[in-house]
Amino acid sequence: MISIIKGIFTLSFLLVVIRLSTPILFAGMSSFAASTTGIGNIGVEAIMTMSALFAILGSYWTQSAILGLLIGMLVGVLMAMMIAFFSMRLGANPTLVGIALNTFADSLAIFILYLFTGDKGSSASLAVKTMGTINIPFIKDIPILGQILSGQHVLTYVCWICLIVFGILVFKTPLGLRMRSCGLNPDAAKTAGINVQRLQVLSLVFSGIFASLGGIFLSLNYLLIYSKLMVSGMGWMGIAANGIASGNYFLLIVGCLIFGIFRAVSIVFATTSNFPSDLLTAVPYVAVIVVIVTVSIVNYLKIKKGNVNEQ
Amino acid sequence: MEETILKLQQVTKVYGNGVVANRDVNVDFQKGEIHSICGENGAGKSTLMKMIFGIEKPSSGTITYKGQQVHFKNSMDAIKAGIGMVHQHFMLIPSFSVVDNIILGDEPKKGVFINKTEAIKKCQQLSDKYNFELDVTQKVSELSVAKRQKVEILKTLYRDAELIILDEPTSVLTPQETEKLFVQLRSFKEQGKTIIFISHKLEEVKQISDRITVLRSGVTKGTYTNEELSIKELTRLIIDRDIENDMDCFKKDSSIKGNGLEVRNLTMKHNGKNILDNVSFTVKNGEILGIAGVEGNGQVELVKSIVGLNESEYSGSIMVNGVDVSKLSVKQRRNEGLAYIPEDRMGDGTSSELPIYDNIISTYFDREDINGKILMNTNAIDQKSNELIETFAVRCKDNKATISSLSGGNIQKVVVAREYETKPSVMVAEQPTHGIDIGSAEFVHHKLIELRNNGSAVLLVSADLNEVMNLSDRIIVMFEGHVAGYFKDANSVTDHQLGMYMLGASRQSAEEIEGALND
Repeated sequence: MISIIKGIFTLSFLLVVIRLSTPILFAGMSSFAASTTGIGNIGVEAIMTMSALFAILGSYWTQSAILGLLIGMLVGVLMAMMIAFFSMRLGANPTLVGIALNTFADSLAIFILYLFTGDKGSSASLAVKTMGTINIPFIKDIPILGQILSGQHVLTYVCWICLIVFGILVFKTPLGLRMRSCGLNPDAAKTAGINVQRLQVLSLVFSGIFASLGGIFLSLNYLLIYSKLMVSGMGWMGIAANGIASGNYFLLIVGCLIFGIFRAVSIVFATTSNFPSDLLTAVPYVAVIVVIVTVSIVNYLKIKKGNVNEQ
Repeated sequence: MEETILKLQQVTKVYGNGVVANRDVNVDFQKGEIHSICGENGAGKSTLMKMIFGIEKPSSGTITYKGQQVHFKNSMDAIKAGIGMVHQHFMLIPSFSVVDNIILGDEPKKGVFINKTEAIKKCQQLSDKYNFELDVTQKVSELSVAKRQKVEILKTLYRDAELIILDEPTSVLTPQETEKLFVQLRSFKEQGKTIIFISHKLEEVKQISDRITVLRSGVTKGTYTNEELSIKELTRLIIDRDIENDMDCFKKDSSIKGNGLEVRNLTMKHNGKNILDNVSFTVKNGEILGIAGVEGNGQVELVKSIVGLNESEYSGSIMVNGVDVSKLSVKQRRNEGLAYIPEDRMGDGTSSELPIYDNIISTYFDREDINGKILMNTNAIDQKSNELIETFAVRCKDNKATISSLSGGNIQKVVVAREYETKPSVMVAEQPTHGIDIGSAEFVHHKLIELRNNGSAVLLVSADLNEVMNLSDRIIVMFEGHVAGYFKDANSVTDHQLGMYMLGASRQSAEEIEGALND
């Protein structure tokens, strides 16, 4: 136990947290983007899985990491558009469409993997161009801070840039105001002359892009292969963080980072401590449940005491 | 002045399901006039306004605006042309600030960003210009209903509307607030803006309008200048018969005595503020106690506490027939003789996708004659529902019709029939006729009086002052969670007096208010 606590307060642990938080942050942004206009995207996990696979395959086919990235993103956006098409055009419940995507994604990914590699477990046999890390000159020479800010994976930087830019877009620009209005009161948005459907499609495009980047980070940038079930619930963690934050962007980021920390705990100490590894693997998922229950209880008590503004 | 800004010719609207909402409507609106549209619910007023505002398209006929025939594809086109609409149900986003609500869809920009400083300046100037007394940086959720309405009006002014449609704007206002609104409407008129005013309240229509158009069953019954019509004639044009407003002649003394409902020292806090502040009153058997007040002054919480839907903590006692029910569940309270007509008849009152026969028994489905030993007694349900549909004159295809296929008035009749069927000793009626047609409203009023005459204690909560004054025996006024005024005789109080208490301008002493409990 003491070794665990000691281990947490080290620089290398922090670096692991930053890395492992990246896909969860992407997933959180994906869920946030969709819910901003009032469409729930619970297919984040499925999009991450398919994009992770197709980024590797794309990179293998084109022998270019950038093209692999773009192919992965394209697949992600297409899947998000499936949610838009089935729910908005054909009138299906977006939650059910999301469930459908999640149900078939894992198996379909394995099937496609097998088609192209003959292997059902991973893409290790494919020679692919991958994305690396970035060393920032000067900054990398600063002690400690340099190790944190420099030398991270390309998509980790992309993630934080996306976080800032998308935050500004949603909270500071006319487009963002309109998107938020669609989620909060679509009738009000409509009477203000806003094309609600168009913005909902747009937000699903954003949602697809962010989810795909989360998946691509895992395959093309971090583990450098596709292996089956590699997303392992990170999409759901993003969705959970978004649910807890309920529109609060700052809380969303905090939530994703907390889940990132627990993921880091489970991975780092699976090798270094005597705890049964199965138990440690469960830590992040247990953390999700604990956090959700805690937040629910806090909110419930607030309502009981009458300290919360009901809308 | 005699310049036509908007002209409707032979406008007909047939909905996809074959319902004819408007047939061959011809109306013209002059620039700079206040033009009222009157008619019962379902007479086609809303559809007509929706067509003007581009939400619906006419099936046939032409709309000419400023001399040009127009085909608005959506409300954006109408807004761009200079038409604004203040909807009955406010189209506001509570968690946004006033500014954000106003500029939504037409935001001042600085580069790619919203120019917040300019937006605030512009909106504040607009508010000050018309004496709206708004702080535009406040969140809408913090505003009173009257102020929210001002935000809605500002939205139209911000986009330079020349023609403003107001759909039932006074239904949520006190008499004093209504007067203020009318002053503002007249000032708009002086600036050459045209106002289309839709209202159920004929006194107000007479007070504000230059001209009046009456719709009945989707057809115009003519356009008249204000001077041409008396209220009585107007009523006859609208519903084709006279209506008895004063209900006193129907009241009979009941032989049952005692207190049906007794509420003592009900207090509830919310964000450190008292939502309910020591509210005490009794409703005797065989009387109607009316609660007047502007929406949002604690009435909702009061009613929720009484019927058992309040999930927040509160203190005080609630006695139904001498039994303290404040710790009991909704079902247990109903077993003690409580019945409830909720304000939100679609959300709380009924299950809209279920048929009438399910909805009409849902509060007493476990009663012996309806519930068999294992399965529901479908024959009994069928019989009971048909019987109630007939006695309560619910207009529907048959008892299998879903609630959502009924009009507002008929949905309310289903709710009233169900609650009436349990022969309640205490009836809590919350906005029982809000937004339903005059005919159904009259019917509901008669049923409430009937309950009273049969010895039930009826608590009537309504934002409609006329309703409270016409039905009640005694009246209390709520303001900011406390009882601000108590009137022992509902017949000796005027709407203006009530208005003073509703706005918080007057407040009675504790001894006077105690009468609500002890008289």
